Amino acid sequence: MDANLLLTSASQSSFPWLSLIVLLPSLGALVLAVLPENEEKNPNLSRNFALTFLLSDFLLMLAVFGRLFKNHQEGLQLIERYNWVPSIGLEWSLGADGISTPLVILSGLITLLAAAASWKLKSKTKLYFALLLVQASAQALVFLSQDFLLFFLAWELELVPVYLLIAIWGGKRRLYAATKFILYTALASLLILISGLALALSGDSFTLNLNELTNKSFNGGLSLFCYLGFLVGFGVKLPIFPLHTWLPDAHGEANAPVSMILAGVLLKMGGYALLRFNVQILPEAHMQLAPALIVIGIVNIIYGALNAFAQDNVKRRIACSSVSHMGFVLLGIGAINSLGISGAMLQMISHGLIAAAMFFITGVFYERTNTLSIPNMGGLAKVLPITFAFFLASSLASLALPGMSGFISELTVFLGVTSQENFTSVFRAITILIAAIGLVLTPIYLLSMCRRVFFGPRIPALATIEEMNPRELTIGLSLVIPTLVIGFWPRIAIDLYETSTNAIAQKLTEHSFISLTQVLPFG
Amino acid sequence: MHSAAELAWLIPLFPLLGAVVVGLGLISFNRRINQVRKPVAISLVSCIGISAIFSYAVLWEQLRGVPPVEHLFVWASAGNFTIPMGYVVDPLGAVMLALVTTIALLVMIYSHGYMAHDKGYVRFFTYLALFSSSMLGLIVSPNLLEIYVFWELVGMCSYLLVGFWYDRDGAAHAAQKAFVVNRVGDFGLLLGILGLFWATGSFDFNGIALGLSEAVDIGAVPGWAALTLCLLVFMGPMAKSAQFPLHVWLPDAMEGPTPISALIHAATMVAAGVFLVARLEPLYSHFPVVGLVIAVVGTITCFLGASIALTQMDLKKGLAYSTVSQLGYMMLAMGCGAPVAGMFHLVTHAFFKAMMFLGSGSVIHAMEAVVGHEPILAQDMRLMGGLRKKMPITAITFFVGCIAISGVPPLAGFWSKDEILGQAFNTYPILWLVGLLTAGLTAFYMFRLYFLTFEGSFRGNDENLQKQLLADAGKEIEDEEHHSAGTLHESPWSMTSPLIVLAVPSVLIGLLGVPWNSKFSFLLNPVEAIEAAEKFHFGEFLTLAGASVAISFTGIIIAVMAYGLNRIDLKKLFAERFPSINSFLSNKWYLDDINEKIFVKGSRRLAREVLEVDAKVVDGVVNLTGLLTLGSGEGLKYFETGRAQFYALVVFAGVIALVALFGVLGPT
Repeated sequence: MDANLLLTSASQSSFPWLSLIVLLPSLGALVLAVLPENEEKNPNLSRNFALTFLLSDFLLMLAVFGRLFKNHQEGLQLIERYNWVPSIGLEWSLGADGISTPLVILSGLITLLAAAASWKLKSKTKLYFALLLVQASAQALVFLSQDFLLFFLAWELELVPVYLLIAIWGGKRRLYAATKFILYTALASLLILISGLALALSGDSFTLNLNELTNKSFNGGLSLFCYLGFLVGFGVKLPIFPLHTWLPDAHGEANAPVSMILAGVLLKMGGYALLRFNVQILPEAHMQLAPALIVIGIVNIIYGALNAFAQDNVKRRIACSSVSHMGFVLLGIGAINSLGISGAMLQMISHGLIAAAMFFITGVFYERTNTLSIPNMGGLAKVLPITFAFFLASSLASLALPGMSGFISELTVFLGVTSQENFTSVFRAITILIAAIGLVLTPIYLLSMCRRVFFGPRIPALATIEEMNPRELTIGLSLVIPTLVIGFWPRIAIDLYETSTNAIAQKLTEHSFISLTQVLPFG
Repeated sequence: MHSAAELAWLIPLFPLLGAVVVGLGLISFNRRINQVRKPVAISLVSCIGISAIFSYAVLWEQLRGVPPVEHLFVWASAGNFTIPMGYVVDPLGAVMLALVTTIALLVMIYSHGYMAHDKGYVRFFTYLALFSSSMLGLIVSPNLLEIYVFWELVGMCSYLLVGFWYDRDGAAHAAQKAFVVNRVGDFGLLLGILGLFWATGSFDFNGIALGLSEAVDIGAVPGWAALTLCLLVFMGPMAKSAQFPLHVWLPDAMEGPTPISALIHAATMVAAGVFLVARLEPLYSHFPVVGLVIAVVGTITCFLGASIALTQMDLKKGLAYSTVSQLGYMMLAMGCGAPVAGMFHLVTHAFFKAMMFLGSGSVIHAMEAVVGHEPILAQDMRLMGGLRKKMPITAITFFVGCIAISGVPPLAGFWSKDEILGQAFNTYPILWLVGLLTAGLTAFYMFRLYFLTFEGSFRGNDENLQKQLLADAGKEIEDEEHHSAGTLHESPWSMTSPLIVLAVPSVLIGLLGVPWNSKFSFLLNPVEAIEAAEKFHFGEFLTLAGASVAISFTGIIIAVMAYGLNRIDLKKLFAERFPSINSFLSNKWYLDDINEKIFVKGSRRLAREVLEVDAKVVDGVVNLTGLLTLGSGEGLKYFETGRAQFYALVVFAGVIALVALFGVLGPT
């Protein structure tokens, strides 16, 4: 497709709303940086400042996507394309469709709440909140960028604040965890870059525009190679087995608000990129490797759940449960039909809310008890009944209780796999059987954690701690209420992305389903 | 003018609204809501009351023969696939609606007295409203998927209510066990639903039944697969209705407050499994083997529950095993292809068992005044006795319950149980024999409960016995809480009046189902009812009924001799002569031990080993630190044992095998 045609087409946004969404937090970070140092005099200035910017950014997102984004229109909307560095073909190219919109809104909400959850942070507040603002910009850019290089820059840019947030404000082994995080993701980025450039360079024309890449066709070997590169690269973020081991360390050491961002935003980037690159740009390779994705997915589900059950640290346990839940995203993407992809999308949204809620509540009681070790706890419910209610509610949501968003997303994934006629019945039956075992394991590790932390006789030493305050209540409710609303009326979320996921699924059906046995040497 | 059935969707909605409003209030303005506990409770009770009025209107319409109503809407969609939700009102649902709202209302009134001094009073009422809403939603569900939704929600409410006193370790364990065991059942149910969807493309009860039988007929779905799917779906009812071997959660669930045991764990939620099997009757009727499996499972459960109930010393646990046993009878009826008989027993049992549980609550309430709030003391019958004189209303209503469940004509239990036994006699005579034997056991253990609790002399002030009981349970003796200050007294009116109200149907409701003119089966299945009435022979009825009445009286007489008149010493006669059988029964067939050893410990060990693999192998390999640790002494030591290599080998061989397997099997 001619790039100029797109540039002049009517879909070009009249006002660069998306750029504003992306740049507003960065602007905040810049202003914050030049503000005079007065941490002693006015310690809350940078916090309030960051909160204002994040809140206005979030409201802006709601307004822009609420008023200007049309759910039922296919393809990209609110497109902006400006040449940035023409010599290397880099463009400032933004656009939103059904799979980016809900994730942008989700990440805006989570970052805002994470900033609010950092209320009591005392050390180096200015740097902390500036990093949060940079992170907010980078993540929005990841979801909205329509140019490969721009996407890649954003992907790398977002690593820096997260690395620093873990390395400076983390727990005892924060350096180890932060280094591990940066090593994993940086090495993975290399694969992303190589694969992306290989695709951009292949064929007659050079293009970095994702839309144009989607319309390009690649030869089998190259697309398979790039697919695997992307899979490993994005798989680290998702994370997929066996690339997940950075996650429990990162969560174990990061403070609660950073964990909220890790679980609520960073993991979603992996899933988003898999959909955007592996599925949309390389549909043929995706059709070939979909069964392998499903296998990895069920390994994730079971392996993550078993690991979670053995963890003795609250945050590490929730981190492993994320590994398990992200398995459903892989399962949905591997199901290559509209149900499966829709389920994967909803699972990302739902897990973003639920995991953030769990990490937030964990932070609430960690601030009061200063321990995360499950064997050292017990009887918290007696002193913190409302905290208990929130933790229990998010645990129940996490174990896919109907009426909460996790149920409908996992159910949709299950239905997607069930109704995929391209797989043999035996394959589908085994997949669903094993994945459903995950549904039995989830309550075992989550409810036993609830039991050991909250149930039981009261511990006298904890008698004086205070219950959640109104600020914490608001944060908790902002995460739990959307979970319930989506659980009761899933179409609120589904309507946002349904057109896009249907289009992706439709496009996949145009490609033949090639047996793995023809691809793999040992088949 | 709308008909009541058109408005049936409001029935679950009223309590839900109440629960949501109060729940949000509890979270946001906890102290203020707790200050106005009474108005809050009254408004929640009114929510159920309104639902009850609607339910009776619906039932009245169904009795007048108004055709069933069904409404659907699209809940979720993807591509051209939609998930329909909605509501359906038919005679079966109408009966259940009326039953659940009635008992929920009575239990709420009772709870006002029972929970009066509890700090969680408002929370308790909120949970009750939430539960009622979910249960009512389950009843009006028009398809399997919606049933699954509410199925899990009632399970959640059960979890919350069993763990209501969250500072008790026992409650915490019991709640978790209840949820997990039910999830095991739901695992089967979900697989079954998905499988049936795969086979028929439908979630609708009739759609599934028609689709599956057609698919089997044309060979699209092999017979064994259809059978497997039916049995997988049955796993759900097995867990929810406490059928062997998934019954293990129900006795433990007695850790919850007693009104909950009456409402959820005797009358309504545990009956949901039976209800679902009744809903699935069109499907199961195509597969006689499934019927046989259900009947056998029901019979085993029925006998198991009764046999364990023989030795229980805890009043509530005794009643719980009795519930397990009675649920077995209902399943037996379902397996015999007689859902009407099973549903009839469900209804009668709901009334008299709820009454007895509430009665036991009244007893415990009184005992707590004497022995303190430790359930090990307050619920143990060795400390009771002679309560009839102090609390006559409780004693009389409990006695009514005993004769009703024992099958003494013309009380409710006689008609419904006899109907089931009659059906079993015609279908599977061997199962009938077991059922008949169990009827004798039932009569015996119920009267044992009655005599130990209400007759004889009061033993609650025996300090030595109290200490011994606490020591047996491994609890420490707390002196300060141990002042037996209070005296026994009858419970307040809010607790006794529901007992009296429930006693009326316990006596009379059976008359709606007399076999020669069963109004109940005429409502649920008019064709079958007319047929049954035509085929009815007094001779056959009297023989079978005579047999079951005779065996009931045998049980009652033995109980009277042993516990009422102390003429025979069962301990010498039986327990000491057959110690192995006695310990087999008092250890609940060792099922809890097996469960603990294999599943609980096994899963823990597996998880620990996986974590070790994760930390030492997966992490190591990906980090490439495996090479580094090789250099250091420790790494060498670890590798020398060969465990790391072994684990690594297993993991990677496993993954490669899976990939290869799916590569071959996967794409068509």
